[in-house]
Amino acid sequence: MSALIELDQLDQQQALLTDSLRKMLEGQWTGFPSLEANIQALDPGVELAPRPPVLESEAGPPAPSGWWADYDPNEGMPRQAYSWSCSACALAWVLRATRLDPNASEQSCIDAIGYPQNINPTYGLMDGSGSQLRRVVGDYGVTTGQAWLSYDACYATFADTTGMMSGGAIYHWVAVRGLTGDGQLWIANSAPGYCGVYDTLSRSQFNQWGPWSVVWLLH
Amino acid sequence: MSEQDARITQLQQQQALMTAALIAALEGRWQGAGSVEAYLYALDPTLQGQLIPDPPVLSS
Repeated sequence: MSALIELDQLDQQQALLTDSLRKMLEGQWTGFPSLEANIQALDPGVELAPRPPVLESEAGPPAPSGWWADYDPNEGMPRQAYSWSCSACALAWVLRATRLDPNASEQSCIDAIGYPQNINPTYGLMDGSGSQLRRVVGDYGVTTGQAWLSYDACYATFADTTGMMSGGAIYHWVAVRGLTGDGQLWIANSAPGYCGVYDTLSRSQFNQWGPWSVVWLLH
Repeated sequence: MSEQDARITQLQQQQALMTAALIAALEGRWQGAGSVEAYLYALDPTLQGQLIPDPPVLSS
């Protein structure tokens, strides 16, 4: 067998393995199509004794708790008052949308982030990774994560939480409401139209204005 | 890099993502950051908007 034929076979097996992950995520463990069927295709002689798990569709999803139970992705986002305060606006939106602080505002968050040492008119947010935004959210007892994410990782992350993100090339913080349902990120933008970005962020916009430092809330 | 080398490199990257996805499944991270869903999007970006998750109920 030539190397190219072997590579073709490996590609086919890889595709089946990827599809097997999808079957697991979508709860298709046995029957056809299913994880079981894919394993049979990968190894026709294998003997299986499946014990599929109980699924959320059968048991019901876990009841949301904490801020996640109160989260309102439709919370309004006022335009920012200053050219340098986008991060404070994004933070205030997150605090209001999660009801961690229903009265959070651009100004209250400028104060909470720390003016002028951590945020100021010259540089905006001093630490572009969002460490001070994380500290403020942490002051409300909520744990956050942070990473420089790809679009795919970012999309998966915000299927299940909210947060804030800033692109290195756009130099602008936005809050993330969630997903649009057509493959885009749904954002709360205090400067709609800036660099052509309004209320959504597509993969091409994400790649154009990145890399993105992403801060997300855990629940 | 020859086409053959490029395909081997891609398969190696896919294997690494598969391994990470299996770890996520074992640890019960089906959705969200570092989840099975996230690694699936990395393996096949065309799945965005296509998946209908129905994950297992976790015991803890």
